[in-house]
Amino acid sequence: MKQLLPFIIVGIASGSVYGLAGVGLVLTFRTSGVLNFAHGATAAAGAFLFYWLHVEHGLAWPLACVVTLVVFGVVGGLALERLTRSLNRASPVAVVVLTVGLLLATQGFLALRFGDAIRYFPAFLPTSGFHVAGVGVGWEQVIGAVVALAGAAGLYAFLRLSHTGRSMRAVVENPTLVQLTGQSPATTARIAWAIGTAFAALSGLLLAPTLGLDATLLTFLVVQSFGACAIGLFKSLPLTYVGGLVVGVAASLATKYITVRPWTGLPSAVPFLILIVVLVAVSNTKLPDAGGRIIVADRRPPRPTGRSVALTIVGGGTLVALPFLVGTYLPLWTNALSTVVIVGSLALLLWTSGQLSLCHLSFAALGATTVGHLTGSGVPWLVALVAGGLVAVPVGALVAIPAIRLSGIYLGLVTLGFAILMQNVVFQSGFMFGTETAVSTHRPVLGFVDGRNDTWFYFVVLAVAVAVVASLLAIQRAQLGRLLRAMAESPVMLATSGLDVSTTKVLVFCASAFFAAIGGGLLVTQYGSIAGLAFSPLQSLLLVAVLGICGTALVRSSVLAAVLIAVLPGYVHALDTNTQQFVFGLAAVVAGLALANRPALAAWFARSAAETEDRVERGPISERVRATRRGDGDGRGRRRPVFAGRGAR
Amino acid sequence: MTFGGNVAVADASLAAPVGRITGLIGPNGAGKTTTLNACTGLVRPSAGRVLLFGADVTGSRPSARARAGLGRTFQTPEVCAAMTVRENVAIGLEARWSGANPLRQLATGPGRRRAVADEVDEALRACGIAELADRAAAVLSAGQQRLVELARAVAGGFELLLLDEPSSGLDEGETVRFGGILERIVAGGRRGILLVEHDISLVMAVCDSIYVLDFGEMIFAGTPDETRASPVVRAAYLGPDRDEARAAPAARRRR
Repeated sequence: MKQLLPFIIVGIASGSVYGLAGVGLVLTFRTSGVLNFAHGATAAAGAFLFYWLHVEHGLAWPLACVVTLVVFGVVGGLALERLTRSLNRASPVAVVVLTVGLLLATQGFLALRFGDAIRYFPAFLPTSGFHVAGVGVGWEQVIGAVVALAGAAGLYAFLRLSHTGRSMRAVVENPTLVQLTGQSPATTARIAWAIGTAFAALSGLLLAPTLGLDATLLTFLVVQSFGACAIGLFKSLPLTYVGGLVVGVAASLATKYITVRPWTGLPSAVPFLILIVVLVAVSNTKLPDAGGRIIVADRRPPRPTGRSVALTIVGGGTLVALPFLVGTYLPLWTNALSTVVIVGSLALLLWTSGQLSLCHLSFAALGATTVGHLTGSGVPWLVALVAGGLVAVPVGALVAIPAIRLSGIYLGLVTLGFAILMQNVVFQSGFMFGTETAVSTHRPVLGFVDGRNDTWFYFVVLAVAVAVVASLLAIQRAQLGRLLRAMAESPVMLATSGLDVSTTKVLVFCASAFFAAIGGGLLVTQYGSIAGLAFSPLQSLLLVAVLGICGTALVRSSVLAAVLIAVLPGYVHALDTNTQQFVFGLAAVVAGLALANRPALAAWFARSAAETEDRVERGPISERVRATRRGDGDGRGRRRPVFAGRGAR
Repeated sequence: MTFGGNVAVADASLAAPVGRITGLIGPNGAGKTTTLNACTGLVRPSAGRVLLFGADVTGSRPSARARAGLGRTFQTPEVCAAMTVRENVAIGLEARWSGANPLRQLATGPGRRRAVADEVDEALRACGIAELADRAAAVLSAGQQRLVELARAVAGGFELLLLDEPSSGLDEGETVRFGGILERIVAGGRRGILLVEHDISLVMAVCDSIYVLDFGEMIFAGTPDETRASPVVRAAYLGPDRDEARAAPAARRRR
């Protein structure tokens, strides 16, 4: 026990902060229906603001703390509430696109303003300590844990005892009913977002002294609070705080026992392991309703018309002529073709079957490493490429298991957790990137086609990409495509018509993983060597965000997304990566808003639209109720009946 | 059938034979849809059995029950807005044929595609919506969407159809026509219908036998004429104070 105590103490100190961040996240999620993937970035922004005030401008730390928590909490919270208001009950893709956009924009901005290097964050709390049973405990740790506990407990008491708190809890249960009592759900949401943002900033402040000021690291650490939220089933605030402690202690203990590669990455992935286990165990039925479904393409897959045939011919001609037009930029375009394969496979999942996957590049990584290892041991390149695809198929089936039990944003969270587990653990194994954290291969020579020549290799990738896109189109137009589109809209209808929907989900995940892995194989072949970092969870998030920007068509959106990801940054020399990230993040925020408010979506939601507007927007019902309370009449001292029609007086 | 300790439906037994239209009526909240959900397997009853053509399917999943011949429609039409009417109807056939077989889900032969097209055309004609075949389901009225659902169930070839308030959203003329469609569906003697419905005139016109559910209890079973004459049914629809007959089930509920 004595050996464990230091780990438990560290676990409680960090877990308390995760719990605090988790409580803020659950609060905003439950009152607004939006799961904020940028919660970690908010924490980072809070820590940087404190740094700016305290270190750069010499403001005393208590004052800097207050400004960060109160001013940033309120202003940031109000801004977030306004930004995410239309996301309530919107497609989970819109939520991911907008909040991931916020995350990227925040990180880009912080990197632009403060530079990439990790900065020393001043220890504003006392660094001395005391001993418990021979184990050193820092005052900083104690204060951090107590402050976090006080924050969570204070919020709990506020929700139980105050009038505003009670109406916040009521909004969670039934927003319409709250309007009927004359209160505006929007005001309640604003308060919730302000508290949530302040909690995020506070957790950033508490974590930064030990971690240093690194936007990416802070963002990732606060994302660990997702595990805490899962233990609270995304609804209970006390359980979420306890979940934070559990996550913190489990992760801390894991660092003691797990010291052998490739498992050394596991401790930091423990929160996500907990997230996956809890979510898969409880299934969608026990979790709060996270709102809308993914809207599948709002039109039929196009049948070949004269115009589309002409477009295909022109497009095909351009693709063939491209190597002779773009000069030294050719590798960018080859990269784009591989990316089309990966994005296309994601679009099949997202836009045809309505399944959210935030681990898509993990499949691509499997393809890349298989191609690397197999060609290294003398297997012909084409065989290795197909084998790479096949290796990803059982992994796709594995990811489909949570998809059978979960949907929407929860499926997104579990797949994100899977991507983090893959990166932290499986990537390190000898089967994948191993200790060198990269895998390499050589270009193929297929008969007279010498892949070592860039132009020839372009045509090899073009051939594979065309074959994959043709397969995707064939799937979309065939019976399977119809079943997938129906699954996105009404799985219950399909089940009561006799279809085993679980089998269909496994099929689509397997197919999508297969094609994504082919794309990964193409990428590694082009560059000769590729690092595991290229397939990180953040890149997978980015992929979904870019696809979200590019619309819901299967092929057109994939091509556009691939050009945005692979080609555009190469041509835009003027912007460094941080500026690109910032601009891209802003674009994703706009795209998320557009995705949530698209007229086509409105048409789809037409039946519930009127109801939703009443519920979320400026609260017309509550306005009317308040008007009667105030006794607003027609100016002649008489009260106007509220719900009466013309002539009812 | 219980929901968190609340008894929604208790002691309700009914039989829906093939070749007949069986009605299930009752006031709002009586448990009609819950009964249908228990039959199709969307909710699991806390006690009792579901027999389908003599086989016990109580533990089977909804899809297995559907493959065994049980089809249904929904109170709020479940049509795929992004698809045409023809595709929506084809889904019924394709879902049942593919079932749990991954190979059948993956690929179909040209012969199969032709067979699907023929069956879909026939179902569209049988439900009188052949002229809507190429319209997008999203632009249809609620009544038309119900007909699409019915055609999907017909195309699926289910031997027993459970229809949940299929006539709401239809005008008077359409309802009469709709009754004719239902009668034609069961006419061959191969199919049966269990009809949950609020439109009493439709139920009286087309059903061979009627069950009446109130507060989760089956309070009456009989022919349309008997139902019309029953004081128990009258009391259930008009309120408990109107008739002494209500006293018995109300007392049982309180226990």
